[in-house]
Amino acid sequence: MKKILLLSCFISIFLSSCDTNDDSGLCCGPDPIIAPQNYAFLRNNESTVKFTGQTTRIFMAEEIISALKNNDTQTQSSLLAMFDHQEGAADFSDPELNASGKSVRSKTAASSDYFSANATEAAEIKSMFDSYIGIQTSEVFPNWNTVATPGVAGQIADGSDTRYIGANGLEYNQAFAKGLIGAFVTDQILNNYLSPSVLDAGDNVSNNDNDITDGDNNYTTMEHKWDEAYGYLFGGVAQENQADPLPSIGQNDSFLNKYVGKTNSDSDFEGIAQEIFDAFKLGRAAIVGKDYDVRNTQAAILQEKISQVIAIRAVYYLQTGKLSIESGNFGAAFHDLSEGYGFLTSLRFTRDTQTGTSIFTRSEVGSFISELMSDGPNGLWDVTPATLDTISEQIASKFDFTVAQAASSN
Amino acid sequence: MKKNITFILIILLAFVSACGVDDTSDIQPTDSYDRSALLVNWADNIIIPGYANFSQKLTALEVASEDFTQSPSAISLDGIRNSWLDANIAFQKISMFEIGRAQTLNYRNRLNVYPTNSQEIEGYISANSWNLELPSTIDAQGFSALDYLLYGLGTDQELLEKFTTGPNASSYKMYLLDLVTTMQNLTSEVFSDWNNGYRASYITNISSSASGSVDQTVNAFLFYYEKALRAGKVGIPAGVFSGSPLPQNVESYYNQTVSKLLLTQALNATVDFFNGKGFSSEYQSNGFSLNSYLEALGSEKNDASLQTLINNQFQVAFSKIELLNDNFIQQITNDNTKMLEAYDELQRNVILMKVDMLQALSIDVNYVDADGD
Repeated sequence: MKKILLLSCFISIFLSSCDTNDDSGLCCGPDPIIAPQNYAFLRNNESTVKFTGQTTRIFMAEEIISALKNNDTQTQSSLLAMFDHQEGAADFSDPELNASGKSVRSKTAASSDYFSANATEAAEIKSMFDSYIGIQTSEVFPNWNTVATPGVAGQIADGSDTRYIGANGLEYNQAFAKGLIGAFVTDQILNNYLSPSVLDAGDNVSNNDNDITDGDNNYTTMEHKWDEAYGYLFGGVAQENQADPLPSIGQNDSFLNKYVGKTNSDSDFEGIAQEIFDAFKLGRAAIVGKDYDVRNTQAAILQEKISQVIAIRAVYYLQTGKLSIESGNFGAAFHDLSEGYGFLTSLRFTRDTQTGTSIFTRSEVGSFISELMSDGPNGLWDVTPATLDTISEQIASKFDFTVAQAASSN
Repeated sequence: MKKNITFILIILLAFVSACGVDDTSDIQPTDSYDRSALLVNWADNIIIPGYANFSQKLTALEVASEDFTQSPSAISLDGIRNSWLDANIAFQKISMFEIGRAQTLNYRNRLNVYPTNSQEIEGYISANSWNLELPSTIDAQGFSALDYLLYGLGTDQELLEKFTTGPNASSYKMYLLDLVTTMQNLTSEVFSDWNNGYRASYITNISSSASGSVDQTVNAFLFYYEKALRAGKVGIPAGVFSGSPLPQNVESYYNQTVSKLLLTQALNATVDFFNGKGFSSEYQSNGFSLNSYLEALGSEKNDASLQTLINNQFQVAFSKIELLNDNFIQQITNDNTKMLEAYDELQRNVILMKVDMLQALSIDVNYVDADGD
């Protein structure tokens, strides 16, 4: 980060020495972009930062994943209605969420870069989440008070906790929640709001260059798009701390915030939360400073780091699941592998900053899932340590971290 | 940091070995210590006598529970309470051996999860319907559920009324009997497995792989010490993991006077296992133990022998525990610092055993810290 700052400073000094129009007498040219200490930006002494829509969607998603475990009050249709919320419908416990016209499903597999011309896959991914709800209610709920065995849905003990699994050992609520981290949160941040296709859409650049704000709002559209990316990571933070959110990183939602926090607490990846926060701040400052190269560099840092978090967590859960399989503790194993399953599906939404496409193709992700579930007739009940290692290695090979580094997280 | 690095090394080692050898059960010990004699000492002089003793105490508890439910009175209540405590103390001697059948049954959790869920218990009793085989009922069974029924229903007179003239009296009795029978059934399943074949395979499985008996037993022992003893009995109620104390999470919440007794019994059993001490004078040790294993390897840390450091640290922990009130709820409420100090001394031996001892013995940790969700 410092290097980039130094470099841009150096470049501007260098350029200015050739600049004959310089009338300041001293240094010159555009000021280097300097990020503020907090994610706080003002115009006319009022904040220009707003991401209430992201907060709303995160809270909706929290209610959905919690409702997936309420076998006595929820049905397939009530859960599908929550996921695909319509304005005014009484789907949630929070009336503000009910009044909202936003929904989680409409932003699932819905990024501009990956899905605007890929409606077929977008529909498949949305219906994958629908089917998790379907199986949870048709297979797991009816067996809520049954002891699970291979091929039979029901309860299984994980230490002193109880997990509720399908006939194949999968906890569908975990597959759903961890799948949303990719298909919903990561996809929206990396492939939508941080992408030039969204940031620079329409007149965004000229409006931003000329400080033309968005209607009655105090922000330019480009500023707002960047803030919406930020909001998908920090929208669950208490409002008074949203500009300075790192002290509680990991505790603000059950989605990306939680797992950036967990990754950051592994000494192998310590500092990644700060790097992400710094890139958000500097990129936003660059929009204010109208320096789109600096902005794009920060977007690339964010895309790289957040993709890494998804991959690290996928490998971590496969490896902890492996340890539990080896010691015959199926309950603990299935819980971890179900989280891993969700993170595997989330890999589809990572981003290679060189190509602007996913680090894992749709078929690679499909193979991981089918390898995980196909060692025998009963899915996770039959998965072998060798299979878990193979998938882990394939994931890690695309990154700078090793399987061992990811496995040592917590 | 150090823990993480060690863990990485362990994982790396696990990888290297997994790649090189197909069948890890063939790995022979790399040192000359007699693992077979060690396993014989553990099985014959500690574990099996421990289960035999616990089974006896459970039988006594079963008799007392029948007496009590047939004729609930101050005397029969006293009888079942005494049997409950005897059995609970006997359980502390074998709780650490969560291997073989005990592991598949999730035995320790079935017998001793706390805090118990009194609301859930009351719900089952008033509905007169329950299934203790369901994992979700784990916090409504075992010693802590009995603790609730025997000490948590008000004054002795109020308690006796619930079992005699109260509207759900027969359901209370059935539930109490079912709790004891379930504990008895689970225990006899584990005990008879030891007596019918498991002992034989256990003492011959001297491989130094993750599936070897020494690795399995030591991992179970450490997991117990770290999670059930250090965290469960002291750290969690003292608030080490939550920021503020959770006195409602002490072991034996309703019979508050025995929390310290159960901890000291458990720690005694831990020290005895480390030193390979036989269960009683009837079961004399053959001298093989983790202590003598480390001695044979000449393991040292900071110029002191590792086994001495570990034993000394146990004594330091005991000295801190001695300062505690018998009643942990009072201790936590009045002076939690002493609980935290006891925790810290217990924690020091997690480091000495989980890091230094395992390194010396070339044993990999087979468990990880839970994710927490």
